[in-house]
Amino acid sequence: MDVTSETQSGFDLSRLVELGKSVYSLVIVLVLWELVGQFELIHYYFLPPLSDIILRFIELTLSGDMLYNAYLTLYRALVGLAIASVFGVLVGVLSARNDLVDWFFDPIIKIGYPVPIISLIPVFMLWFGIGDISKIIMVAVGTFWPVAVNARDSTQQVQQNLVWAAQMMGTSDRRLLRRVVFPAALPGIITGFQIAMPLSLIITFVFEMVAGGGGLGALEIQGVRSFQSTQTYAAIIAVMFIGIGLDRGLRLIRSRLLHWT
Amino acid sequence: MRHATSQRIEALPAPVQGIAQTILDWIPLGIVVVLWELVSGTVVAESILPPPTAVSSLLVELVVTGEVFSHLFISLFRIAVGLGLSILIGVLLGIGMARSDPVEDFFDIFLSMTYPIPKTALVPLAILWLGVGTETAILIVFLACLLPIVLNAYNAANDVNQSLVWAAQMMGTDERSMLYKVVFPATIPEIMTGVRQAVPIAFVALVSAELIASNQGIGYLILTSGQIGNYPRMFANIVIISAVAFVAVRGFEEVRNRVLVWT
Repeated sequence: MDVTSETQSGFDLSRLVELGKSVYSLVIVLVLWELVGQFELIHYYFLPPLSDIILRFIELTLSGDMLYNAYLTLYRALVGLAIASVFGVLVGVLSARNDLVDWFFDPIIKIGYPVPIISLIPVFMLWFGIGDISKIIMVAVGTFWPVAVNARDSTQQVQQNLVWAAQMMGTSDRRLLRRVVFPAALPGIITGFQIAMPLSLIITFVFEMVAGGGGLGALEIQGVRSFQSTQTYAAIIAVMFIGIGLDRGLRLIRSRLLHWT
Repeated sequence: MRHATSQRIEALPAPVQGIAQTILDWIPLGIVVVLWELVSGTVVAESILPPPTAVSSLLVELVVTGEVFSHLFISLFRIAVGLGLSILIGVLLGIGMARSDPVEDFFDIFLSMTYPIPKTALVPLAILWLGVGTETAILIVFLACLLPIVLNAYNAANDVNQSLVWAAQMMGTDERSMLYKVVFPATIPEIMTGVRQAVPIAFVALVSAELIASNQGIGYLILTSGQIGNYPRMFANIVIISAVAFVAVRGFEEVRNRVLVWT
């Protein structure tokens, strides 16, 4: 964008045109949606008018239902992810630095990573029931793999020169790991978190849909079962906000932590 | 550890070397399986954690009787159609957005809005529209796989080596054959990368849809086996879908290496 035009006037036409170009399609679709809904060209159950959905969303938010269910989903997903992050980074970094650990975990990761983790939901229902604990453990097990693999690979790729330089200056093994290897591997480790984050939400939603127990996934499926499609749509709006919020949050953390890159 | 043993392995005669290395590499998995077998029925009740022997005998039974195949074929059909559609539309959309500004202006906002939504959260919406069954599963697989393919195709088409385009233009290539003959072939490696990312996602999406909204398919089989308490059968089906996913990823990587001979 042109810098001079920005300084010349507060009202910037070219920027407005750019904005218009990028959102016009969304506006068209949303207006069409509203019209189709208002004139019931498609049955109300399938596609309620947008205004009804937004009203329902506000209603559920004000009554606290939406916030409570969003809290349940976030709590399960993030606690699970945090557990997986600790174990994943530990196993990943140690695998890269220690042959014995690598020998043990390499075949397990090779077999465990490709398992469609969602298929284990019935197993976790059997083992740990359908409560919060079961969901949290499931998220932790599911997100462990991408975290561990990214931590391992990025630690392996730490430049040997850095390690040698630090060793030459008399850095002990333990400090080497904390001060040299870990920071150098951090970008890759955070990439692992970024891959694991949507996965943690996926696992939580599906588990909530299959087993119930509150949460946005349960709220959505409840809407379908009770023929209140506005509730399903409203819950998906909340899912969208959460997805965008977490995505932005991780990017922010990444740029803060990795300001030197 | 590894270095010490690999030296000892190198002392062995050549044909035995590979086998010995393979066995050594996979010992940890053997340990896990043996532990599982020992724990089952002693520390943990056999009904909660069926021993590997029970699971594998059921696995053989499922395969020999052919019981699993009707469900497996339905699952594979859903994946094939969903993934196929997402490749077709994803490549068109990705290249279209990269080569044409109006197309990009139109679709960009939808992609950036749907990007952070976990696609399995849309399963209830799919049930709303399409009911319980194959269409819902296909839609979810399609949506889940679409974005990685669009993004890779888009980036690749944006980064097509400009000298290639100039060279073709100089030789009088018109706009349309430019797309077929220059841009599309140049993006194939990245498209393959997108598909490689999409294959495991497809399996997660498939199983999610089948657990929630299906009365056929492997996901359904896993859920119902658990519900009626036939746990060896549940584990056997999980092993089957995992093996299929594993083979699909490896198989695709093999195909990619064959196709991309020029890179």
